[in-house]
Amino acid sequence: MDHGIHIADCGDSAVVVKATGGGDRAWQMVHALADAIEAIRLDGVHGIVPTYDSLLVEFDCSATDHDTIHRALRGAAGRLAANPAPAPAPRRFTVPVVYGGEYGPDLPVVAEQLGLAEQEVVDLHTARDLMVRCLGAPVGAPMMDGPAFPKPVPRLASPRTSVPPGSIAVAGRQAVICPMRSPGGWPLLGRTPLRVLDLDSEPLTPYRPGDTFRFVPITPEEWPDHDGAMLTAEAVARG
Amino acid sequence: MADTLTVHRAGLSVVQDLGRLGRSRYGLPVNGALDQYSARVANVLTGNDEGAPLLEITALGFACTPSADVLIAVTGAPADLTVDDVPRPRWEPVVVRAGETIRVTRIKHGLRVYLALHGSVESPFLLGSCAPDTILGFGRTLRDGDQLAIRTPFPPVGHPFSDIPLFRLNASVPRFAESWTIDVTDGPDLAEFGDSAERLFRSEFTVTPQSNHIGLRMRGDVPRRTATGEVLSRGVPVGAVEVPAGDELLVLHRGRGVTAGYPVLAVVTSTGLSALGQTRPGQSVRFRRRTVAEAVAAYRSQRADIDSLRTRVRTVFDALRVLPQLPSTPHLVSE
Repeated sequence: MDHGIHIADCGDSAVVVKATGGGDRAWQMVHALADAIEAIRLDGVHGIVPTYDSLLVEFDCSATDHDTIHRALRGAAGRLAANPAPAPAPRRFTVPVVYGGEYGPDLPVVAEQLGLAEQEVVDLHTARDLMVRCLGAPVGAPMMDGPAFPKPVPRLASPRTSVPPGSIAVAGRQAVICPMRSPGGWPLLGRTPLRVLDLDSEPLTPYRPGDTFRFVPITPEEWPDHDGAMLTAEAVARG
Repeated sequence: MADTLTVHRAGLSVVQDLGRLGRSRYGLPVNGALDQYSARVANVLTGNDEGAPLLEITALGFACTPSADVLIAVTGAPADLTVDDVPRPRWEPVVVRAGETIRVTRIKHGLRVYLALHGSVESPFLLGSCAPDTILGFGRTLRDGDQLAIRTPFPPVGHPFSDIPLFRLNASVPRFAESWTIDVTDGPDLAEFGDSAERLFRSEFTVTPQSNHIGLRMRGDVPRRTATGEVLSRGVPVGAVEVPAGDELLVLHRGRGVTAGYPVLAVVTSTGLSALGQTRPGQSVRFRRRTVAEAVAAYRSQRADIDSLRTRVRTVFDALRVLPQLPSTPHLVSE
Protein backbone atom coordinates (compact mmCIF):
# COMPACT_ATOMS: atom_id res chain seq x y z
CA MET A 1 0.00 0.00 0.00
CA ASP A 2 1.53 3.33 -0.98
CA HIS A 3 -1.29 5.49 0.54
CA GLY A 4 -0.85 8.02 -2.26
CA ILE A 5 2.82 8.76 -1.68
CA HIS A 6 6.10 7.87 -3.36
CA ILE A 7 9.32 8.18 -1.32
CA ALA A 8 12.75 8.65 -2.93
CA ASP A 9 16.15 9.16 -1.33
CA CYS A 10 17.57 12.63 -1.89
CA GLY A 11 21.20 12.28 -0.88
CA ASP A 12 22.54 10.72 2.31
CA SER A 13 20.56 12.97 4.64
CA ALA A 14 17.15 13.59 3.06
CA VAL A 15 14.23 11.87 1.44
CA VAL A 16 11.68 13.46 -0.81
CA VAL A 17 8.05 12.39 -0.72
CA LYS A 18 5.91 12.94 -3.76
CA ALA A 19 2.15 12.76 -3.30
CA THR A 20 0.59 11.00 -6.24
CA GLY A 21 -3.02 12.19 -5.83
CA GLY A 22 -2.48 15.36 -7.91
CA GLY A 23 -3.62 18.95 -7.30
CA ASP A 24 -5.28 19.79 -3.99
CA ARG A 25 -5.25 16.20 -2.78
CA ALA A 26 -1.46 15.99 -3.16
CA TRP A 27 -1.00 19.37 -1.50
CA GLN A 28 -3.24 18.43 1.44
CA MET A 29 -1.40 15.14 1.81
CA VAL A 30 2.11 16.61 1.95
CA HIS A 31 1.09 19.29 4.46
CA ALA A 32 -0.83 16.86 6.68
CA LEU A 33 2.13 14.49 6.45
CA ALA A 34 4.51 17.30 7.43
CA ASP A 35 2.36 18.08 10.50
CA ALA A 36 2.24 14.40 11.42
CA ILE A 37 6.01 13.91 11.11
CA GLU A 38 6.65 17.09 13.08
CA ALA A 39 4.26 15.91 15.80
CA ILE A 40 6.01 12.56 16.34
CA ARG A 41 9.41 14.28 16.70
CA LEU A 42 11.54 11.61 15.11
CA ASP A 43 15.10 11.48 16.43
CA GLY A 44 17.58 13.02 14.00
CA VAL A 45 15.01 14.81 11.82
CA HIS A 46 15.81 18.52 11.60
CA GLY A 47 14.01 19.81 8.54
CA ILE A 48 10.55 19.32 7.06
CA VAL A 49 9.69 21.20 3.88
CA PRO A 50 6.20 20.62 2.42
CA THR A 51 5.53 22.50 -0.82
CA TYR A 52 2.99 21.66 -3.54
CA ASP A 53 3.08 17.96 -4.19
CA SER A 54 6.35 17.20 -2.44
CA LEU A 55 7.75 17.00 1.06
CA LEU A 56 11.47 17.10 1.83
CA VAL A 57 12.50 15.48 5.12
CA GLU A 58 16.08 16.30 6.20
CA PHE A 59 17.86 14.38 8.91
CA ASP A 60 21.23 13.56 10.46
CA CYS A 61 22.11 10.20 8.94
CA SER A 62 24.43 9.43 11.85
CA ALA A 63 21.46 9.69 14.23
CA THR A 64 18.80 7.88 12.18
CA ASP A 65 18.57 6.10 8.85
CA HIS A 66 16.61 6.16 5.62
CA ASP A 67 14.59 3.05 6.55
CA THR A 68 13.34 4.59 9.78
CA ILE A 69 12.26 7.74 7.93
CA HIS A 70 10.58 5.73 5.15
CA ARG A 71 8.67 3.65 7.74
CA ALA A 72 7.54 6.73 9.68
CA LEU A 73 6.32 8.41 6.49
CA ARG A 74 4.45 5.33 5.29
CA GLY A 75 2.90 4.88 8.75
CA ALA A 76 1.76 8.50 8.93
CA ALA A 77 0.40 8.38 5.37
CA GLY A 78 -1.54 5.22 6.25
CA ARG A 79 -3.09 6.84 9.32
CA LEU A 80 -3.99 9.95 7.28
CA ALA A 81 -5.59 7.84 4.56
CA ALA A 82 -7.71 6.08 7.17
CA ASN A 83 -8.52 9.19 9.16
CA PRO A 84 -7.86 12.50 7.35
CA ALA A 85 -6.86 15.42 9.59
CA PRO A 86 -9.15 18.47 9.35
CA ALA A 87 -7.39 21.46 7.78
CA PRO A 88 -7.15 24.66 9.89
CA ALA A 89 -9.68 27.41 8.97
CA PRO A 90 -8.19 29.63 6.24
CA ARG A 91 -7.66 33.35 6.82
CA ARG A 92 -7.60 36.19 4.28
CA PHE A 93 -4.98 38.92 3.85
CA THR A 94 -5.36 42.06 1.72
CA VAL A 95 -2.15 43.41 0.22
CA PRO A 96 -1.89 46.88 -1.40
CA VAL A 97 0.52 46.90 -4.37
CA VAL A 98 2.05 49.58 -6.58
CA TYR A 99 2.40 47.90 -9.98
CA GLY A 100 4.96 48.60 -12.69
CA GLY A 101 7.61 51.31 -12.98
CA GLU A 102 10.45 51.11 -10.44
CA TYR A 103 8.15 49.04 -8.18
CA GLY A 104 7.61 46.28 -10.72
CA PRO A 105 10.33 46.60 -13.37
CA ASP A 106 9.43 43.33 -15.13
CA LEU A 107 5.76 44.15 -15.72
CA PRO A 108 6.35 45.13 -19.39
CA VAL A 109 8.38 41.97 -20.09
CA VAL A 110 5.82 39.70 -18.44
CA ALA A 111 2.99 41.39 -20.36
CA GLU A 112 4.85 40.83 -23.62
CA GLN A 113 5.60 37.20 -22.80
CA LEU A 114 1.93 36.59 -21.98
CA GLY A 115 0.68 38.52 -25.04
CA LEU A 116 -1.28 40.87 -22.76
CA ALA A 117 -1.39 44.59 -22.03
CA GLU A 118 0.26 45.60 -18.75
CA GLN A 119 -3.12 46.56 -17.29
CA GLU A 120 -4.48 43.12 -18.18
CA VAL A 121 -1.64 41.50 -16.23
CA VAL A 122 -2.48 43.68 -13.22
CA ASP A 123 -6.19 42.93 -13.60
CA LEU A 124 -5.54 39.19 -13.59
CA HIS A 125 -3.14 39.46 -10.64
CA THR A 126 -5.78 41.28 -8.57
CA ALA A 127 -8.82 39.40 -9.87
CA ARG A 128 -9.08 36.67 -7.26
CA ASP A 129 -7.82 35.42 -3.90
CA LEU A 130 -4.56 33.52 -4.26
CA MET A 131 -3.97 30.62 -1.89
CA VAL A 132 -0.71 30.19 0.03
CA ARG A 133 0.60 26.74 -0.74
CA CYS A 134 3.83 26.78 1.23
CA LEU A 135 6.49 29.04 2.74
CA GLY A 136 9.75 29.62 0.92
CA ALA A 137 13.19 31.20 0.90
CA PRO A 138 14.80 33.25 2.24
CA VAL A 139 12.39 33.07 5.14
CA GLY A 140 8.62 32.84 5.29
CA ALA A 141 7.92 33.87 1.68
CA PRO A 142 4.26 33.00 0.98
CA MET A 143 4.30 30.87 -2.16
CA MET A 144 0.89 31.17 -3.82
CA ASP A 145 -0.99 29.69 -6.71
CA GLY A 146 -0.46 32.15 -9.53
CA PRO A 147 -3.14 34.29 -11.18
CA ALA A 148 -5.13 32.95 -14.16
CA PHE A 149 -2.48 33.95 -16.72
CA PRO A 150 -2.84 32.31 -20.15
CA LYS A 151 0.53 30.56 -19.80
CA PRO A 152 3.40 30.08 -17.36
CA VAL A 153 5.78 33.01 -16.75
CA PRO A 154 9.46 32.19 -17.42
CA ARG A 155 12.01 32.85 -14.69
CA LEU A 156 14.61 35.54 -15.36
CA ALA A 157 17.58 34.22 -17.35
CA SER A 158 19.87 36.08 -14.97
CA PRO A 159 18.62 36.39 -11.36
CA ARG A 160 18.87 39.73 -9.57
CA THR A 161 21.39 39.92 -6.75
CA SER A 162 19.08 42.06 -4.64
CA VAL A 163 15.29 42.25 -4.66
CA PRO A 164 13.71 44.81 -2.29
CA PRO A 165 11.42 43.60 0.51
CA GLY A 166 7.73 43.59 -0.36
CA SER A 167 8.38 42.81 -4.01
CA ILE A 168 5.51 41.02 -5.72
CA ALA A 169 6.77 38.39 -8.13
CA VAL A 170 5.47 35.64 -10.37
CA ALA A 171 7.05 32.66 -12.10
CA GLY A 172 5.68 29.56 -13.71
CA ARG A 173 2.16 29.25 -12.31
CA GLN A 174 3.18 30.66 -8.93
CA ALA A 175 3.08 34.02 -7.17
CA VAL A 176 5.02 35.27 -4.15
CA ILE A 177 5.73 38.22 -1.89
CA CYS A 178 9.44 38.66 -1.09
CA PRO A 179 9.46 39.34 2.67
CA MET A 180 13.11 40.35 3.03
CA ARG A 181 15.71 41.89 0.76
CA SER A 182 17.32 38.95 -1.03
CA PRO A 183 18.51 37.68 -4.40
CA GLY A 184 15.76 36.48 -6.72
CA GLY A 185 15.13 35.04 -10.17
CA TRP A 186 11.40 35.74 -10.45
CA PRO A 187 10.02 38.60 -12.57
CA LEU A 188 8.77 41.51 -10.42
CA LEU A 189 5.30 42.96 -11.09
CA GLY A 190 5.06 45.40 -8.20
CA ARG A 191 5.78 46.08 -4.57
CA THR A 192 3.77 46.38 -1.35
CA PRO A 193 4.57 48.92 1.36
CA LEU A 194 3.49 46.43 4.05
CA ARG A 195 5.86 44.41 6.19
CA VAL A 196 4.82 40.78 5.90
CA LEU A 197 7.20 39.21 8.41
CA ASP A 198 8.50 39.85 11.93
CA LEU A 199 11.47 37.66 12.84
CA ASP A 200 10.78 38.10 16.56
CA SER A 201 7.26 36.72 16.38
CA GLU A 202 6.17 33.15 17.01
CA PRO A 203 5.02 31.68 14.70
CA LEU A 204 7.40 33.40 12.32
CA THR A 205 4.75 34.35 9.78
CA PRO A 206 1.24 35.79 10.30
CA TYR A 207 0.00 33.47 7.52
CA ARG A 208 0.23 29.75 6.92
CA PRO A 209 -0.39 27.43 4.01
CA GLY A 210 -4.10 27.40 3.17
CA ASP A 211 -4.60 31.13 3.88
CA THR A 212 -5.38 33.47 0.97
CA PHE A 213 -4.02 36.79 -0.30
CA ARG A 214 -5.89 39.40 -2.31
CA PHE A 215 -3.78 42.02 -4.10
CA VAL A 216 -5.23 45.53 -4.49
CA PRO A 217 -3.63 48.12 -6.79
CA ILE A 218 -2.62 51.44 -5.23
CA THR A 219 -0.86 54.49 -6.69
CA PRO A 220 2.69 55.52 -5.70
CA GLU A 221 1.07 58.48 -3.92
CA GLU A 222 -0.79 56.07 -1.63
CA TRP A 223 2.42 54.24 -0.63
CA PRO A 224 3.05 56.38 2.52
CA ASP A 225 -0.43 55.52 3.85
CA HIS A 226 0.71 51.89 4.29
CA ASP A 227 4.48 52.24 4.60
CA GLY A 228 5.93 49.86 7.19
CA ALA A 229 2.55 48.65 8.51
CA MET A 230 2.44 44.97 9.48
CA LEU A 231 0.35 42.60 7.42
CA THR A 232 -2.61 41.34 9.44
CA ALA A 233 -5.44 38.94 8.67
CA GLU A 234 -8.92 40.28 8.03
CA ALA A 235 -11.53 39.43 10.60
CA VAL A 236 -13.61 36.73 8.97
CA ALA A 237 -17.25 36.41 9.89
CA ARG A 238 -18.21 32.77 10.31
CA GLY A 239 -21.65 31.34 10.00
CA MET B 1 35.22 42.25 34.29
CA ALA B 2 34.53 40.18 31.27
CA ASP B 3 37.49 38.77 29.37
CA THR B 4 37.88 39.79 25.77
CA LEU B 5 39.47 38.83 22.53
CA THR B 6 40.85 41.93 20.82
CA VAL B 7 40.77 41.57 17.04
CA HIS B 8 43.74 43.30 15.40
CA ARG B 9 43.17 42.03 11.92
CA ALA B 10 39.74 40.69 11.08
CA GLY B 11 40.17 39.78 7.41
CA LEU B 12 36.97 37.98 6.49
CA SER B 13 35.89 36.40 9.75
CA VAL B 14 32.61 35.77 11.51
CA VAL B 15 31.31 34.12 14.65
CA GLN B 16 29.88 30.86 13.39
CA ASP B 17 28.31 27.62 14.58
CA LEU B 18 26.87 24.49 12.99
CA GLY B 19 23.73 26.22 11.76
CA ARG B 20 20.10 26.99 12.39
CA LEU B 21 18.22 23.70 12.33
CA GLY B 22 14.50 23.08 12.38
CA ARG B 23 13.21 26.16 10.54
CA SER B 24 13.33 24.97 6.97
CA ARG B 25 9.54 24.76 6.97
CA TYR B 26 9.61 28.57 7.01
CA GLY B 27 12.11 28.63 4.21
CA LEU B 28 14.99 29.48 6.53
CA PRO B 29 18.31 28.13 5.29
CA VAL B 30 20.39 26.16 7.79
CA ASN B 31 23.64 28.11 7.19
CA GLY B 32 26.49 27.41 9.65
CA ALA B 33 30.09 26.37 9.14
CA LEU B 34 30.76 25.47 5.52
CA ASP B 35 33.31 22.87 6.62
CA GLN B 36 31.33 21.22 9.39
CA TYR B 37 33.99 18.61 10.03
CA SER B 38 36.75 21.12 10.77
CA ALA B 39 34.39 23.23 12.90
CA ARG B 40 33.32 20.23 14.98
CA VAL B 41 36.91 19.10 15.48
CA ALA B 42 38.07 22.58 16.55
CA ASN B 43 35.42 22.66 19.26
CA VAL B 44 36.06 19.09 20.38
CA LEU B 45 39.81 19.79 20.67
CA THR B 46 39.05 22.58 23.14
CA GLY B 47 36.60 20.50 25.16
CA ASN B 48 33.56 22.42 23.86
CA ASP B 49 30.25 21.24 22.54
CA GLU B 50 30.64 20.63 18.81
CA GLY B 51 28.02 23.31 18.19
CA ALA B 52 29.62 26.04 20.33
CA PRO B 53 30.20 29.43 18.67
CA LEU B 54 33.67 29.67 17.10
CA LEU B 55 35.45 31.85 14.56
CA GLU B 56 35.27 31.07 10.85
CA ILE B 57 38.16 32.80 9.07
CA THR B 58 37.85 32.89 5.29
CA ALA B 59 40.80 33.31 2.91
CA LEU B 60 42.49 36.29 4.55
CA GLY B 61 44.86 36.54 7.51
CA PHE B 62 43.60 37.05 11.04
CA ALA B 63 45.16 38.26 14.30
CA CYS B 64 43.80 38.64 17.84
CA THR B 65 44.89 38.84 21.48
CA PRO B 66 43.01 37.37 24.46
CA SER B 67 42.90 39.25 27.77
CA ALA B 68 42.98 35.96 29.69
CA ASP B 69 44.79 32.65 29.37
CA VAL B 70 42.87 30.61 26.82
CA LEU B 71 42.97 27.19 25.27
CA ILE B 72 42.41 27.33 21.52
CA ALA B 73 42.39 24.96 18.56
CA VAL B 74 42.77 25.90 14.91
CA THR B 75 41.52 23.58 12.16
CA GLY B 76 40.39 23.81 8.55
CA ALA B 77 42.53 24.85 5.59
CA PRO B 78 46.34 24.74 5.83
CA ALA B 79 47.68 28.03 7.24
CA ASP B 80 50.47 29.35 9.42
CA LEU B 81 49.45 29.57 13.07
CA THR B 82 51.68 31.53 15.43
CA VAL B 83 51.36 32.68 19.04
CA ASP B 84 53.62 35.68 19.67
CA ASP B 85 55.41 34.75 16.44
CA VAL B 86 56.16 31.19 17.59
CA PRO B 87 54.73 28.56 15.23
CA ARG B 88 52.13 26.36 16.91
CA PRO B 89 50.45 23.20 15.69
CA ARG B 90 47.08 23.23 13.98
CA TRP B 91 44.55 20.45 14.73
CA GLU B 92 45.81 20.33 18.35
CA PRO B 93 44.85 22.25 21.51
CA VAL B 94 47.18 25.20 22.08
CA VAL B 95 47.63 27.24 25.25
CA VAL B 96 47.74 31.00 24.76
CA ARG B 97 48.64 33.30 27.65
CA ALA B 98 46.86 36.57 28.31
CA GLY B 99 48.31 39.29 26.09
CA GLU B 100 49.88 36.98 23.52
CA THR B 101 48.95 37.49 19.88
CA ILE B 102 47.40 34.68 17.86
CA ARG B 103 48.03 34.97 14.11
CA VAL B 104 46.56 32.93 11.29
CA THR B 105 48.25 33.73 7.98
CA ARG B 106 48.86 32.27 4.53
CA ILE B 107 45.66 30.27 4.25
CA LYS B 108 46.24 27.98 1.27
CA HIS B 109 44.77 25.07 -0.70
CA GLY B 110 41.50 25.48 1.19
CA LEU B 111 39.46 28.55 2.00
CA ARG B 112 38.30 28.40 5.60
CA VAL B 113 40.04 28.15 8.97
CA TYR B 114 38.23 27.54 12.26
CA LEU B 115 39.42 28.91 15.58
CA ALA B 116 37.69 27.56 18.68
CA LEU B 117 38.34 28.77 22.19
CA HIS B 118 37.53 26.73 25.27
CA GLY B 119 34.46 28.39 26.79
CA SER B 120 32.27 30.70 24.80
CA VAL B 121 32.54 33.58 22.37
CA GLU B 122 30.00 36.39 22.54
CA SER B 123 27.52 36.48 19.69
CA PRO B 124 23.95 37.45 18.93
CA PHE B 125 21.57 34.53 18.44
CA LEU B 126 18.67 34.25 16.02
CA LEU B 127 16.27 31.34 16.38
CA GLY B 128 18.76 29.29 18.35
CA SER B 129 21.93 29.88 16.34
CA CYS B 130 24.64 32.50 15.89
CA ALA B 131 25.30 31.41 12.28
CA PRO B 132 25.32 34.42 9.96
CA ASP B 133 22.44 34.62 7.50
CA THR B 134 23.58 37.09 4.87
CA ILE B 135 20.17 37.22 3.24
CA LEU B 136 18.57 38.32 6.51
CA GLY B 137 21.56 40.52 7.30
CA PHE B 138 22.12 38.64 10.56
CA GLY B 139 25.38 37.62 12.20
CA ARG B 140 28.53 38.87 13.90
CA THR B 141 31.11 39.87 11.32
CA LEU B 142 34.41 40.80 12.96
CA ARG B 143 36.15 44.11 12.27
CA ASP B 144 39.62 45.39 13.06
CA GLY B 145 39.69 46.67 16.63
CA ASP B 146 36.66 44.65 17.81
CA GLN B 147 36.62 43.52 21.41
CA LEU B 148 34.85 40.21 21.46
CA ALA B 149 33.65 39.17 24.91
CA ILE B 150 34.73 35.66 25.86
CA ARG B 151 33.98 33.47 28.84
CA THR B 152 36.63 30.93 29.54
CA PRO B 153 36.87 28.61 32.51
CA PHE B 154 40.47 27.80 31.55
CA PRO B 155 42.55 28.37 34.68
CA PRO B 156 45.94 30.10 34.66
CA VAL B 157 48.60 27.63 33.64
CA GLY B 158 52.24 27.58 34.61
CA HIS B 159 53.24 24.03 34.03
CA PRO B 160 55.79 22.90 31.44
CA PHE B 161 53.13 21.66 29.06
CA SER B 162 52.02 25.17 28.26
CA ASP B 163 55.07 26.09 26.17
CA ILE B 164 55.48 22.94 24.15
CA PRO B 165 53.02 21.34 21.78
CA LEU B 166 50.55 20.32 24.40
CA PHE B 167 49.13 17.03 23.28
CA ARG B 168 49.20 14.59 20.41
CA LEU B 169 45.54 13.91 20.04
CA ASN B 170 45.75 12.76 16.44
CA ALA B 171 42.69 14.43 15.07
CA SER B 172 42.15 13.13 11.58
CA VAL B 173 43.17 15.90 9.15
CA PRO B 174 41.43 15.97 5.76
CA ARG B 175 43.38 16.22 2.54
CA PHE B 176 43.74 19.72 1.10
CA ALA B 177 45.03 20.26 -2.44
CA GLU B 178 44.50 22.28 -5.59
CA SER B 179 42.11 19.73 -7.04
CA TRP B 180 39.26 18.07 -5.23
CA THR B 181 37.23 14.90 -5.52
CA ILE B 182 33.71 15.47 -4.24
CA ASP B 183 31.39 12.54 -3.56
CA VAL B 184 27.80 12.72 -4.78
CA THR B 185 24.81 10.40 -4.88
CA ASP B 186 22.25 10.31 -7.68
CA GLY B 187 19.64 13.06 -7.43
CA PRO B 188 15.89 12.41 -7.62
CA ASP B 189 15.68 14.03 -11.09
CA LEU B 190 18.68 12.30 -12.64
CA ALA B 191 16.54 10.74 -15.37
CA GLU B 192 15.63 14.20 -16.70
CA PHE B 193 19.21 14.56 -17.94
CA GLY B 194 19.28 11.40 -20.01
CA ASP B 195 22.73 10.23 -21.13
CA SER B 196 24.21 13.68 -20.57
CA ALA B 197 24.13 13.03 -16.81
CA GLU B 198 27.35 11.05 -17.29
CA ARG B 199 29.18 14.28 -18.09
CA LEU B 200 29.14 15.07 -14.37
CA PHE B 201 31.65 12.27 -13.82
CA ARG B 202 33.65 12.44 -17.04
CA SER B 203 35.46 15.72 -16.74
CA GLU B 204 36.68 18.34 -14.32
CA PHE B 205 34.76 21.42 -13.31
CA THR B 206 36.30 24.73 -12.28
CA VAL B 207 35.00 26.66 -9.28
CA THR B 208 34.16 30.21 -10.38
CA PRO B 209 34.50 33.39 -8.29
CA GLN B 210 30.69 33.64 -8.20
CA SER B 211 30.72 31.00 -5.47
CA ASN B 212 29.80 31.50 -1.84
CA HIS B 213 28.04 29.89 1.12
CA ILE B 214 24.76 29.86 -0.79
CA GLY B 215 26.05 27.93 -3.73
CA LEU B 216 29.13 27.18 -5.79
CA ARG B 217 29.09 27.85 -9.49
CA MET B 218 31.31 25.66 -11.61
CA ARG B 219 32.25 25.75 -15.27
CA GLY B 220 32.76 22.68 -17.39
CA ASP B 221 30.99 20.30 -19.73
CA VAL B 222 27.63 20.55 -17.98
CA PRO B 223 24.91 17.92 -18.35
CA ARG B 224 21.81 19.07 -20.22
CA ARG B 225 18.27 18.52 -19.10
CA THR B 226 16.33 16.70 -21.79
CA ALA B 227 12.92 17.16 -20.17
CA THR B 228 11.30 20.58 -20.61
CA GLY B 229 8.80 22.66 -18.68
CA GLU B 230 8.95 24.53 -15.39
CA VAL B 231 9.36 22.57 -12.18
CA LEU B 232 7.08 23.39 -9.24
CA SER B 233 9.09 24.82 -6.35
CA ARG B 234 9.95 22.14 -3.86
CA GLY B 235 12.34 21.56 -1.03
CA VAL B 236 15.90 20.87 -2.14
CA PRO B 237 18.61 19.59 0.18
CA VAL B 238 21.95 21.22 0.90
CA GLY B 239 24.31 19.69 -1.65
CA ALA B 240 21.82 19.64 -4.54
CA VAL B 241 23.61 19.80 -7.90
CA GLU B 242 21.50 21.78 -10.35
CA VAL B 243 21.91 22.96 -13.91
CA PRO B 244 20.14 26.32 -14.20
CA ALA B 245 19.90 28.02 -17.58
CA GLY B 246 23.44 28.85 -18.68
CA ASP B 247 26.73 27.02 -18.88
CA GLU B 248 27.35 26.40 -15.21
CA LEU B 249 26.65 23.86 -12.55
CA LEU B 250 25.15 25.25 -9.38
CA VAL B 251 25.93 23.26 -6.25
CA LEU B 252 23.86 24.44 -3.31
CA HIS B 253 25.56 24.84 0.04
CA ARG B 254 24.35 25.62 3.55
CA GLY B 255 23.08 29.14 2.82
CA ARG B 256 20.85 27.85 0.04
CA GLY B 257 17.20 28.79 -0.29
CA VAL B 258 15.15 25.87 0.99
CA THR B 259 12.99 25.61 -2.11
CA ALA B 260 13.99 25.78 -5.74
CA GLY B 261 12.55 25.08 -9.12
CA TYR B 262 15.46 23.40 -10.89
CA PRO B 263 15.74 19.64 -11.25
CA VAL B 264 18.25 17.96 -8.91
CA LEU B 265 20.82 15.98 -10.88
CA ALA B 266 22.92 14.79 -7.93
CA VAL B 267 23.36 15.49 -4.23
CA VAL B 268 26.76 16.09 -2.62
CA THR B 269 27.31 13.74 0.33
CA SER B 270 27.62 15.00 3.91
CA THR B 271 31.38 14.39 3.95
CA GLY B 272 31.64 15.90 0.47
CA LEU B 273 29.96 19.10 1.68
CA SER B 274 32.73 19.79 4.20
CA ALA B 275 35.32 19.36 1.44
CA LEU B 276 33.28 21.50 -0.94
CA GLY B 277 33.17 24.22 1.71
CA GLN B 278 36.95 24.45 1.35
CA THR B 279 37.21 24.74 -2.43
CA ARG B 280 38.63 27.99 -3.76
CA PRO B 281 37.68 29.81 -6.95
CA GLY B 282 39.90 28.55 -9.77
CA GLN B 283 40.38 25.09 -8.26
CA SER B 284 39.16 22.02 -10.08
CA VAL B 285 36.59 19.56 -8.87
CA ARG B 286 35.86 16.03 -9.97
CA PHE B 287 32.63 14.41 -8.88
CA ARG B 288 32.64 10.78 -7.76
CA ARG B 289 29.47 8.74 -7.81
CA ARG B 290 28.57 7.00 -4.55
CA THR B 291 25.56 5.03 -3.37
CA VAL B 292 23.50 6.40 -0.52
CA ALA B 293 24.69 3.50 1.66
CA GLU B 294 28.35 4.32 0.94
CA ALA B 295 27.75 8.00 1.67
CA VAL B 296 25.99 7.25 4.96
CA ALA B 297 28.80 4.89 5.99
CA ALA B 298 31.44 7.53 5.21
CA TYR B 299 29.63 10.17 7.22
CA ARG B 300 29.08 7.84 10.19
CA SER B 301 32.74 6.92 10.13
CA GLN B 302 33.67 10.61 10.17
CA ARG B 303 31.34 11.30 13.09
CA ALA B 304 32.71 8.25 14.91
CA ASP B 305 36.23 9.67 14.44
CA ILE B 306 35.04 12.87 16.11
CA ASP B 307 33.46 10.88 18.96
CA SER B 308 36.66 8.98 19.64
CA LEU B 309 38.66 12.20 19.45
CA ARG B 310 36.32 13.64 22.09
CA THR B 311 37.05 10.66 24.32
CA ARG B 312 40.82 11.15 23.92
CA VAL B 313 40.50 14.85 24.65
CA ARG B 314 38.56 14.15 27.83
CA THR B 315 41.07 11.56 28.96
CA VAL B 316 44.01 13.90 28.45
CA PHE B 317 42.29 16.92 29.95
CA ASP B 318 41.18 14.78 32.87
CA ALA B 319 44.73 13.58 33.49
CA LEU B 320 46.07 17.13 33.35
CA ARG B 321 43.17 18.50 35.40
CA VAL B 322 43.01 21.20 32.76
CA LEU B 323 39.30 21.73 32.78
CA PRO B 324 37.91 21.26 36.28
CA GLN B 325 34.71 23.15 35.39
CA LEU B 326 33.77 21.03 32.41
CA PRO B 327 30.19 20.22 33.32
CA SER B 328 29.66 17.17 31.14
CA THR B 329 32.47 15.13 32.73
CA PRO B 330 31.64 14.85 36.42
CA HIS B 331 34.56 12.50 37.12
CA LEU B 332 36.89 15.46 36.65
CA VAL B 333 36.01 16.84 40.06
CA SER B 334 36.37 13.54 41.92
CA GLU B 335 39.43 12.16 43.67
